Amino acid sequence: MALAAGVLGGLASIERKGAFQMMFSRPLVLAPLMGLLLGDLTGGLFLGVPLELLFLGGVSLGGAMPENETLLCAALASAVLPAGMATATGADPALCALALVLLAPLALLGRWLERRGEASAVSLVARARVAAAMGDPDPARVQLRGLLFPFFTTGAICALAVFSSPLLAASRLHCHGRALVGLIGSWHAAQALSVAAAVRAIRDPRAVWLAGVAALAVFAAAALIRGIG
Amino acid sequence: MSPISNSAPPPASSAWKTPSAPGAPRRPPGKPTFFTLLRVFYRSLFLQAGWNPEGMQNLGFCFAIGPALNAIYLDESPRRRAIERHLEFFNCHPYLAAAILGAAIHQEQAVARGELAPEAPSQLKRALGPPFAALGDGFFWLALRPACALVAALTVPALGLGSILVFLGLYNSVHLSARALLFVSGLRRGPGVIEVVARAQVPTGTGLLKAAAAVMAGALAGHAVLAAALPWRPLHAALVGAGIIVATLLLPRARPLIVLYLALVLGLAVGGGFF
Repeated sequence: MALAAGVLGGLASIERKGAFQMMFSRPLVLAPLMGLLLGDLTGGLFLGVPLELLFLGGVSLGGAMPENETLLCAALASAVLPAGMATATGADPALCALALVLLAPLALLGRWLERRGEASAVSLVARARVAAAMGDPDPARVQLRGLLFPFFTTGAICALAVFSSPLLAASRLHCHGRALVGLIGSWHAAQALSVAAAVRAIRDPRAVWLAGVAALAVFAAAALIRGIG
Repeated sequence: MSPISNSAPPPASSAWKTPSAPGAPRRPPGKPTFFTLLRVFYRSLFLQAGWNPEGMQNLGFCFAIGPALNAIYLDESPRRRAIERHLEFFNCHPYLAAAILGAAIHQEQAVARGELAPEAPSQLKRALGPPFAALGDGFFWLALRPACALVAALTVPALGLGSILVFLGLYNSVHLSARALLFVSGLRRGPGVIEVVARAQVPTGTGLLKAAAAVMAGALAGHAVLAAALPWRPLHAALVGAGIIVATLLLPRARPLIVLYLALVLGLAVGGGFF
């Protein structure tokens, strides 16, 4: 299970960095894929949607680099889904909130690793130049080595997350009463934040107002339907 | 006249057409076959694999154009110079770079025939990279991706896992067709690919997609509040609604992870009745 999660996490990190970039590494897709692999497809989707919305605005523009949502999502799914199966609760709100509290800094770690990987790729340019000067007809193929670093780092972190899932499961089982309800509240707060993050991801001065009008329209439609019913 | 124009006469001091000059072919230039171009397009999907702070996408561009250069330049010396040209700095949006890649191949063929100065492809890349990057970032990262993700998020209650296919299908139908179309246009028209991109009305499309995404995000917010209210929990609905409004106001001013921890702690405190 750890190997499978590591390979999928590694492949997703490659896709995110520079292979195809067809959005398979986005949380919305990656978390259910992890679910498919680890045996809890629905749990993956439950985890993937709020994570996707939370990191919807993360864009690499200019020199700014966003948090690494792929690493966080892959590690979170690798830890939560086996833990959910172990506790027989599935990926429930309390377990997801607990894992998010513990693993959220991985998004920052992922960004740091990404910068390190890019800095080390400078040496590949020097190699390609030397190979070109020596008449190599395809000197830039060394660039594919730039994918190894994200593959192995993300893969290793995902495998570690699977190994740590029994600890997460034990922590979840020790949550009772107010702590349990509090964690459920945390997950709902994170979901509310993810919706707000989705509104803010649309970098347009009209976005907040348009979203407000749309939300009011939904309330009006719901009231109308309730009234008719 | 634009430095990237195909018809631009070379400077008098330029070494173009001089048989002994750099870039002048000793054998007639070859023509990339369909399969070579297909290979170039496939390799362009790895444009950012070797991204580095020094040359940015230089390795990716050189990697992608490599098979075409090998087909065009049959002699080693001009081929080596062409390869070295494409190891210079390059940065663009990874999808719109397909247009520049196609146009660069178009120009390399002209260079090989002696019709264009060897510097022309580099000038083209320098001229088109930044504006195409801005267009691509705005359209794909800031408009299309959020819009497709929000469509998928809205359809989750109805489609479940099918919403993932909605996301991938919507996004990649635009993404892959744009990449292929831009690559072919660049190959056929060289620097004239600018007109193709200009005709596509990308800024208008970006604005419309952003407006649609904002409406969908609002609908999602409304749905979240209603879902919290059911079966009859007005306090929950008020808390979720207030949370969304406060977070919307806070997010541009604070780091996302700090806001996330704030939300988690507040949720824990309110949910658990700790205050």
